[in-house]
This record gives sequence, C-alpha cells and structure tokens, in this order.
Amino acid sequence: MIITYPHMGEAYIAVKGIFDNLGIKSIIAPFTTEDTLRLGSRESPECVCLPFKITLGNYIKSIEAGADTIVITGSCGPCRFGYYGPLQKQILQDMGYDVDFIIIDPPKENPLDFLHNIKKLSNGKTSKAIKSIYDAYKVCIEIDKLNEIQYYVRPRTKNKSIINNIMYNFKREVLDAHGTKEIIEVIKATGNKLLSIPIDKNTKPLKIGIIGEIYTIIEPFSNLNVEERLGNMGAEIHRSMTIKHWAENNLIMPATGRKGYKMEKRLSNPYIPVLIGGHTQQCIGHAINYANLNYDGLVQIYPMTCMPEIVSRTILSQIEKDYNIPILYLIVDEQVGEAGYQTRLEAFVDYLRERKYNHKLSEKF
Amino acid sequence: MKRIGIPRGLYYYKYYPFAKIFLTELGAEVVLSPETNKEILDIGSKYCIDDACLPVKVYHGHVYFLKDKVDYVLIPRFTSISAKEYICPKFGGLPEMVRYSIPMNSPIIDIEINLYKNKFNLYKSLFSLGNMLGANPIQIKKAINKAFKTHYVYKKDLLNGNLPAVLIENKKPVKIKTKSIVGIVSHPYLLYDSFINMNLLKKLSGRCIKYITPEMIDSQIIDNLCNELEKRIFWSSSKELIGSALYMMNINRIEGILLLTSFACGIDSLSLELIIRIANKIYNKPIMMLTLDEHTGEANFNTRLEAFMDLVERRQNLDNNLSPYGRGIYCSERNIR
Ligand code: SF4
Ligand code: SF4
Repeated sequence: MIITYPHMGEAYIAVKGIFDNLGIKSIIAPFTTEDTLRLGSRESPECVCLPFKITLGNYIKSIEAGADTIVITGSCGPCRFGYYGPLQKQILQDMGYDVDFIIIDPPKENPLDFLHNIKKLSNGKTSKAIKSIYDAYKVCIEIDKLNEIQYYVRPRTKNKSIINNIMYNFKREVLDAHGTKEIIEVIKATGNKLLSIPIDKNTKPLKIGIIGEIYTIIEPFSNLNVEERLGNMGAEIHRSMTIKHWAENNLIMPATGRKGYKMEKRLSNPYIPVLIGGHTQQCIGHAINYANLNYDGLVQIYPMTCMPEIVSRTILSQIEKDYNIPILYLIVDEQVGEAGYQTRLEAFVDYLRERKYNHKLSEKF
Repeated sequence: MKRIGIPRGLYYYKYYPFAKIFLTELGAEVVLSPETNKEILDIGSKYCIDDACLPVKVYHGHVYFLKDKVDYVLIPRFTSISAKEYICPKFGGLPEMVRYSIPMNSPIIDIEINLYKNKFNLYKSLFSLGNMLGANPIQIKKAINKAFKTHYVYKKDLLNGNLPAVLIENKKPVKIKTKSIVGIVSHPYLLYDSFINMNLLKKLSGRCIKYITPEMIDSQIIDNLCNELEKRIFWSSSKELIGSALYMMNINRIEGILLLTSFACGIDSLSLELIIRIANKIYNKPIMMLTLDEHTGEANFNTRLEAFMDLVERRQNLDNNLSPYGRGIYCSERNIR
C-alpha cells in the first residue's frame, strides 16, 4: 500500500508528519502546477468546482509516481466536497487506474467506520495513530506561526525576494525532514531566518483579511498566490482559515467535547443563523471579526459555481454597508488570467490606501 | 386578512398545495406570482448575484413581482426535506440571498423546513407561522393535518403521471398518441417551468413522445437503487435524479434519457457526471444533456432536442421493423440489435 493525498496549501507538511511517525510509506503529490490542473480538468465535469479539478490532477500525478491508495477526509454534506471521493474514484477507474480510496468521514457520521479507517491506515496501531495526529496538529500550529511572521515581514521589508528564497528553501528542507519533531525544527529555524530580515518598523501597512472558500484561500496555486501578491503591494494580510484552524474546530474540539467555530457562529448569527453547507457562517463571522478589528479591507475568494460562497457573497454585500468595510470579490477557475487578476488587486489596494488617507485627513480637521 | 405571497419558483412545484391549504385554512389569502416570463427572468437576473444558477435568478424575479403587493412573502429556508439529507446550500440560504439582493418592504417569512433529524422541527416552524397568523394551537393542528393530506394526494397524483400544471393550475392535460417514451432527469423547477425549459414538454408531446419524470417514480424505488451505490447520497435533490436515471436505464420501454440541467448548478455537476459515467457502461440507448441558462438561444436548444428525438424515433422504427422477425425466433432482444 503506497499512500498519497491531495495538496491543500501546507497540509502536506502535517500529513507527511503523521505518516513518517507511523512509518508508513507515502508519496507527496508533485506540487500543483498548471499541468496538474490541465490533467485534472480534462477528466472532470465542466461545471464542477475548482478544488475537484486540481485534486484530481494531484491524484493522477501521484499515481503515475507509484501511489496506489488515496487518503482524503470526507464529509456528508451539504457541500459537493462530500461527494468528491466517490466520483473521482469512478473517473480514475474509467481512466484505467486501479486505485483504492480511503475516505475518512467525520467520526460523527459513523464512529466505527472512522476508527476502522484509522486502524487500517496505521496497521492496527490506533493509539499511535491518534498520537501522531495530535503531533501533526502541533506542526500546524507552527506553520501558522511561520505564516504570520511572513505576513508581518513581507510588507515591511524592501527586499521581498529574500523571503521568497527562504520560503523556497523551506519547501525543500521540510521534505527532507523526517517525522513531526524534525519538521517542527525546520519550521522554527525558517521562522528565525524570516525574523532576521531587516524591516522598517515604522511602516503602517494596510490590513487585509482573506475570507472565502476554504480550499481556495489555503491553496496558493488556486488563488494565484494572493497572499504574496498583496504582501508585495505592501499590505499585511491575515488568512481567516488555516489547516490548524480546521483541525482545531473539526477534530480537537469535538474530541474533547467542545463545539467548534463558536466565534464565527456567534458573529454570523444575525445574518445567517444556520449551517447551510460549506463555510458560509465562517466566512461571514470572520468578515465581521476583521471589521471589528479595524481591518482596512477584505478579499473574498471562491471557485466559480461554489454554492455556499455565492450565498456568502450576497450577505457580504450587506456587511460592506453595515460595517463600512470594502470587500473585493475574486472568483477563481482555470480561466483566470494573471494580468487581470493583478490589476484588480492593485486597484483594490490603491483604493484602500486612498480611503485610509482620506480618513486620516478628515480626522485631523 | 393577511395576504401572503408565494413565488412561483423552486420548490413551489413540490409544496405549493401544502402551503396553500395550510395558509388558507388559517385565514390567510395566498397570492401567487404569475408564470415565469421574460420580465420576471430579466428582473431576477438583474437583482440576483451574477454567478447564481438560473432557477435561483428566476426565483428572485418572482419575489420582485410580489414585493410590496402583499403583506408577507413566504420564502422558507429549506435545509432538509428528508432524514439525514440536505438539498442544496442555495436552498438553505435562500432567504438571505433574496433579502440582501432585493430591496423590499414586505417582510419575508423565512421559517425553516428541516427534517434532517426528525419531524419536530417542521411542526415547530408551522406552529410559529400559525401563531403569527393569529391562530390557536387546535386550529393550527387541524390545518397541518389537512395540508399533509392534500400533500399526499398531490404526490400520488404526480406519481400517477399528472403534471403540476394540471393539478395546480387546472390546465388541460394533453392527450397524445404515444409513439415512444423517454425519461427526463431534472429538478422540478426546470422540468415544469415551461418558460425556463422553452416548452420542452410540449415539444416532446408534439412529436408523440411521452415522458417519465422523477416525480412519476416511487421514492422507495429511488431509495433502493441509490442504496446500491458506493456512498450514500446526502442530497435529496441529487438522489432523486440519480435514482430516477438508474430506474429509467433499467426499463425496457423507455427509449432514451434527457438530462436537463441549469448552467452553474453545483449539485448537477456531480450527479449528472455520475449518471453519464454509469450510462456509458450499461446503457446503449440515446442519452443527452441539455443545459439551460438565461442566454440559451432557443434555436440551439431546439436543434439538440430534435437530434435527440430523431435518435429516439429512429430506434423505434428500427425496432418495429425488426421485432416481428425477432421475437420468438431469436431468443433475446439483444441479438437483434
Ligand atoms: S464549498 Fe464550494 S468549492 Fe467547496 S465543495 Fe462546496 S461548492 Fe465546491
Ligand atoms: S440544485 Fe442546482 S439548480 Fe437547484 S438551486 Fe441548487 S445549484 Fe441551483
């Protein structure tokens, strides 16, 4: 059994940690590129959402590199993601690949299945597997810290390419590291390198929050590196959802008898009181939270035809008015042109800058 | 007397008889928006967010028509219509989508219909609506019972092959000389809205083609067929389509299948793909997908539809020519083809 799993931002680092700790052979799909997307969308239904196409491309590449078992988390509604696995399996089989899918549905759907899958994956060492998952969670915490350093440093330094270099090397080093312990060391070392970059402490960058559909805000390929782009334009960004944030709310908290997404649900309640699927409540909750924290603007990113985020977007138009915060809406799919994308981001940042300046002026007089 | 508007879109085709009886029993007057027309579609597309699907845009148009003409507009939040299943995220967020897109004075009644866990939630919602109309619990209970009764009769009538237009709108059923039968796999709001689907049903009847729709198939059969799939389908809307398609593929006298979908429908992008992939393996009759959006040209649509009908007819003629020789002499139908 040679395992592989789809890419979603930095998730591979944590998942690799789990399998390393358990001594299970796994293949990390080659990093997502245009070619991955092309491979995936050729076999996908035309109107399906972007994450489906990209992850399918990931699988094809991994299988060609020797993987025979695909592990993903599942869910049972209400969004399409819950049915990705079965259909992707069908497609891969129709293409002539003989692969096995292990779909780990959330424990609440069927606790026995969940344990069974964990057991199957870990060769019966269930308790060790659970410990590894917890260790991987610690990796996620470190990844978030690293990202936050990057968000802080990028707008404040003149030399953006140093950051890119460090992060490029990080990807290599982390792949060479073995097990969660070594991985955490690499992450920490990288963080220190970033912190040693000279910065201008007096810059007061714009603050931009990134909200939207979870996959497309976490996976940089799918959003055309929006974080890097905005950072280079001098904005300090914050991403509302991360792998750690997901694991905390979906695994750690439920496992210890707490409910996840408390803040998001509380804040979004006046606008959308129930779960409708996807992360609408989270999107709205974070938007309000950022507004309360005096962010200068928000960027909502979602794949074309994404059902829950289409609902979010209609609500966000009201949040813009109620909280007086500008929002840029970015819909991503395989046709997004890079030039137009960059222009829209630049125009938005310029607009925010001017707005902030005018505010200051009016405060003075 | 309170005037309550019901938009003629989305699950109107499933639940209008229920809603109408319930509301009128409690002394409200029900106002229905007109059949979908160009104006409604245009207004809907104007106000609704651009990347939504066609039926949701049309729904916005219907709400726009009703707003300010009634005391309330009924836009239930359909979270779930059967146990452990959802419908589509847009159904769950429908009241919000409308509220933040259309400026309106008439308040929205957005009671939640949620049968995910049990029926209790539905009763709670109906009681709160009844309360709002000033009825007492006994009256409400009576109205609920009556509404359910009507609903079951309506469902049964649909199952027996009647169309919503005949049952709700008292239109005359079309009697045709049937040459062949096809199956149509689609959501009711595409299938029964003759403006959205450019008179699809009439066009089929015009060529003496009878059709079977998901509403004409027993839900137990649909459930059973879907249970054979690897993973349970957790959207009722999708389950209906996949189950119906599987059923239609297995029925000999059904000569072909039409898949009717809306551009940008998230649910269909997965379920229809699954159907087509299954059909590729086990089905050797015509199957065609027709996609609707607000820019679909009727000429284009007709060409595709006609191609489908031609295919169906040609097969039919072929069978008629051959069958007298085939049956009895050669053992199975398959040999003839
Ligand atoms: S949330 Fe959006 S992108 Fe994710 S599965 Fe649902 S429709 Fe697709
Ligand atoms: S099921 Fe499809 S067509 Fe119906 S509301 Fe949802 S996305 Fe639109």
